[in-house]
Amino acid sequence: MHINYVRGFKENRLGRLGIIFLALILSIAFLAPVLTAYSPRQVSENIFQPPSQKHWLGTNDLGQDIWSRVIFGARTSFITALSVGILTVTLAVFIGCSAALLRGIYERFVLRLIDIFLIIPNILLLLLTAAYLRPGPVTMVIVLSIFNWPGCARIIRAQTLTLQEKSHIKAAKTFGAGTFYILVKHIIPDLGPILASSFIAHARRAVFMEAGLAFLGISDPLLISWGTIINRALQYSYLNNWYWLLPPALGLSLTVMAFSFLGYTLEEILNPRLKVGKNAGD
Amino acid sequence: MLEIKDLTITYGRNTVIKELNLTVPKGDVLAVIGESGAGKTTLALSLMGLCPGNVEGQIIYQGVDFLSLPEPQRRLLRWNKVSMVFQDLNRSFNPVMTVLEQIMEPMLEHELLSRKEAQKKAYYLLNKVGLAPVKGQMYPHQLSGGEKQRALIAMALTNDPEVLILDEPTAALDGLTKAKICELLKEVFSEKTVVLVTHDLSTAYQLANRVAVLYQGRIMELGLTKDILKNPRHPYTRGLVRSFPTLDATKDLQGIPGFGIEKQEGCVFANRCTQRIADCTKIIPKLEKRGEREIACLRGGVVNLLKVEDLTKVYSGVTALKGVSLDIEEGETVAVVGESGSGKTTLALCLMGLEKANQGSIYFQGEKIVKWNKEFYQKVQMIFQNPQDCISHRLNVLETVCEPLVIQKLGTPEERIHKAKKALRDVELPDEDEFLNRYAHHLSGGELQRLAIARALVLEPKLLIADEPTSALDASIQAKIMRLIMDLQEKRGLSILFITHDLALARKVSDRVFVLKDGQVVERGLSTQIFSLPQHPYTRKLLQATANFSDF
Amino acid sequence: MGRKRIIDYLMALVIVISLNFFLPRLLPGDPLLSIYGEDALITMTPEAKVELTRRMGLDKPLWEQFFNYLSGIVKGDLGYSYYFQGPVLDLLLGALPWTLLLTGLALIISTLIGFILGVESGWRKGRLADQGLLTGFMFLNGFPDLVIGLFLLLLFGVVLGLFPLGGAMTPYSQLTGVSLLLDVLHHLFLPLSALVLTEIASCYLLTRTTVVTLLEEPFILTARAKGIKPKNIRYRHVGRNSLLPIVTRTGVRLGRLFTGALFIETIFAYPGMGLLIYRAILGRDFPLIQGVFFLVAVVILLINFFVELIYPRIDPRVKNNAY
Repeated sequence: MHINYVRGFKENRLGRLGIIFLALILSIAFLAPVLTAYSPRQVSENIFQPPSQKHWLGTNDLGQDIWSRVIFGARTSFITALSVGILTVTLAVFIGCSAALLRGIYERFVLRLIDIFLIIPNILLLLLTAAYLRPGPVTMVIVLSIFNWPGCARIIRAQTLTLQEKSHIKAAKTFGAGTFYILVKHIIPDLGPILASSFIAHARRAVFMEAGLAFLGISDPLLISWGTIINRALQYSYLNNWYWLLPPALGLSLTVMAFSFLGYTLEEILNPRLKVGKNAGD
Repeated sequence: MLEIKDLTITYGRNTVIKELNLTVPKGDVLAVIGESGAGKTTLALSLMGLCPGNVEGQIIYQGVDFLSLPEPQRRLLRWNKVSMVFQDLNRSFNPVMTVLEQIMEPMLEHELLSRKEAQKKAYYLLNKVGLAPVKGQMYPHQLSGGEKQRALIAMALTNDPEVLILDEPTAALDGLTKAKICELLKEVFSEKTVVLVTHDLSTAYQLANRVAVLYQGRIMELGLTKDILKNPRHPYTRGLVRSFPTLDATKDLQGIPGFGIEKQEGCVFANRCTQRIADCTKIIPKLEKRGEREIACLRGGVVNLLKVEDLTKVYSGVTALKGVSLDIEEGETVAVVGESGSGKTTLALCLMGLEKANQGSIYFQGEKIVKWNKEFYQKVQMIFQNPQDCISHRLNVLETVCEPLVIQKLGTPEERIHKAKKALRDVELPDEDEFLNRYAHHLSGGELQRLAIARALVLEPKLLIADEPTSALDASIQAKIMRLIMDLQEKRGLSILFITHDLALARKVSDRVFVLKDGQVVERGLSTQIFSLPQHPYTRKLLQATANFSDF
Repeated sequence: MGRKRIIDYLMALVIVISLNFFLPRLLPGDPLLSIYGEDALITMTPEAKVELTRRMGLDKPLWEQFFNYLSGIVKGDLGYSYYFQGPVLDLLLGALPWTLLLTGLALIISTLIGFILGVESGWRKGRLADQGLLTGFMFLNGFPDLVIGLFLLLLFGVVLGLFPLGGAMTPYSQLTGVSLLLDVLHHLFLPLSALVLTEIASCYLLTRTTVVTLLEEPFILTARAKGIKPKNIRYRHVGRNSLLPIVTRTGVRLGRLFTGALFIETIFAYPGMGLLIYRAILGRDFPLIQGVFFLVAVVILLINFFVELIYPRIDPRVKNNAY
């Protein structure tokens, strides 16, 4: 099956919107130092300032500029999303493919491990380990990825098994191709769509998990995260500080939305039945 | 009674069914046959009012136009007046409901029976189609393919519809199960009006009394099943029958050249038809009555190419041919068999105008041949028995193949070389300069005969008369040459008059056979019949003397 | 359900217990610190620490500690919360009903609405109603539970003042009967709505995708040919089949609902497990964190187990398979 991703995303309204949102967040995260005159960590005496020419979104309880904290929060969010997406999918490919290719007792062990891990809600594992470790950004990425790979690995293993039955891979074997060659040249490229949608799903999860853990105060308190900002703002919500609460919440939603839209569009491209245009129902 | 009037179905710009008219009287079993993509399933679905495309025309059940009804009323007619056995038996059942529930569903949904009565009737139907009651309580995935097919049939019968539509009811089944299902269907069909859609000609042959041949959404040929499948008259039907393997067929499988094009002017089959004329790509042929059947072909079906009437040849008091009559159709292989001295070669020579017959007439493409001129030889060519003799030792390969073109004054020298090379490639000979410069004595027997065939084909004749073309060759080379000729027939619609004493060979390549004895035709008919049930004692004698490996 | 799967569940339980036990003990540093948390230890005298270490058995070999820990669980002893000054089990049992009420209702309501909307929308694929619903839910799906909770709190609680800002009932009101029920519902409304809104979108999207894919199945064509009423095709044929993935994913959905409850209870100060764990984290109250982890994991394991047990009843195809 040949898939034209570019056309698929162009033709899909939600897909276009997802790309626009993503580009918006990405450019804010990238250009953060240019977009503000203040350092997000700089403490001042001007606390609880409402929005003004000087501080677009006012200041917080420590006199920090909220606008700069929000746009630097985009960086944290984004880097976490990308790293978790890449690490999770890499782990899943490594484990899923190796299980499907090596078979035997190793595969059985991996499958059982996956089955067991899928029964335990991973948010709990995450909370428990995070509560002990108080993770900084790197640990956070690692912990998020470690608890997310099993579902993805199971899909990849199943798909690898299916692919191995395909004639073009059998043909490659008859030419004398080794396992590694088949993995790199045939299986991983064919897994492309699954990897892409897994990446998006896990990146999306990572965005709100990172914010959520920060909100709960589990992650490194020095990290500038949308979750931390919301938590802080909520404690002073009697001040009617919408300018403090809403921007990080909106940033968070916009990012999650971007990934949701991209994920759904990808699903629609890969599952043509979902596409609008063919008749359904009566 | 089911009437289809001017049915046209389009998907977007794609026309799948075009102005189709059909009448299926009560009690009739009509099979709609054709290749995949002919529009069979679309037609079946449209009869249920379930075709997702844009449907125009009328589908009339007992005087009511089904298509003009609003959807809620159509729903009430479905399964009550017309029901269907669907094609994909593995996925046509809801996987999470028991078979019995699904069989009972239409009776309950149309409020025909109470739950108890419906259950009773469902069990009765299961029994009728040969399924044990316990199968009813199972889920679809627990049944075998044959059992699912039976359950689908039982389900189609619940509301006693008058019209039954079956879409490939035997496609997914193995041979034995297929036979059993056919038996069951024969019983089920009594008193019902049936439309059976299938690509399996043997199922159609067993179950249907009439056949409609569908191609690209149009009916090509319509008539009684036995007539049409045993003696197809439309070139497309003939192609279908020739490509369908059956036990009693003697000739090797042949296909239909090319593939369907969706958009074309005129006859939809024109681009694959070997007997097309200029009008075929302009005028849409109508389905017209020809004897017992209806054919949609501007040329009235497969055309007669050569007709010989009452041919008699006497050589100085010896009668070599005595009142011989025969005919050859376009794209057909006719074998003339007989022992040496039976007049076979004389017949060939007379046809080619190399000998003058004393009496009788020869018609080619409907015209009586008086003078054998260049025009005639462009269309009729001959391959001789002994290739060594018939190729001049003074000409090299290229000159040999070009010779007919030179004689006919066709094309420039470059075009001739081009055509010659193509003819050589067609007979699987090399077209390199080294080979083109060889002379006959450098070639093997097989190569020489191929060269002879290439020379005959360079004029692109319609009829090839082959007089013992392989008798001088090894069996293995003979096999290759015969395959080559058959392939050319498939591709070009070449007609072949095949003269041989080898009945085993004639059986493998011919559509029809004429048995010649002492200059007279003693038996004629379809190869399938002559070789299995020979009538004339002479034919039987010939057959007994034919090569075989059997011990009795 | 086969023996293999039961062993899977037992293994999962063992992993939950082991993590609870080993994680704090294997971390570098004083295990007492990891088990009791920094804040608890600051106020302790060195003698009290030694006494606690002895009482906790932290000076004994690891296997003996593990055995004691296991027998403690069996007896219902999940430790003592320093922060709340009470046995962990009592705290958990006080919070559990509220969380069960919140998540249970959210699960039922979101499944019902999400499923019906999903079926109706998928059935009308490509039409205005479907596209509207789809776009709407895609946007809704883009708002994390945290944000939805915040919005509802700000709009209905703070700005409009229609609902209380926190708690599960009015304190010290001594209401009874119907008025107590109404009070509980009044408090429940906003957190429940937030949770339903987050879950409904994913339920709708899953159902719609399944329905759209199912509509192309030949058995739907069969049903239509049989003259089945559209409503019955939608629910008896399409609906029954599209319920399957929703049921299979109950485990995942419960995990998601619990996550949602965690944030939403925190935002609305709703006295369930979520708020408890938030406070435990805030107070570095490790026995309580472990207790919540243990209880929630066991509850979700049990529900998952139950779902798998009844699954063959709704999908007959599973019976013949491995499980």
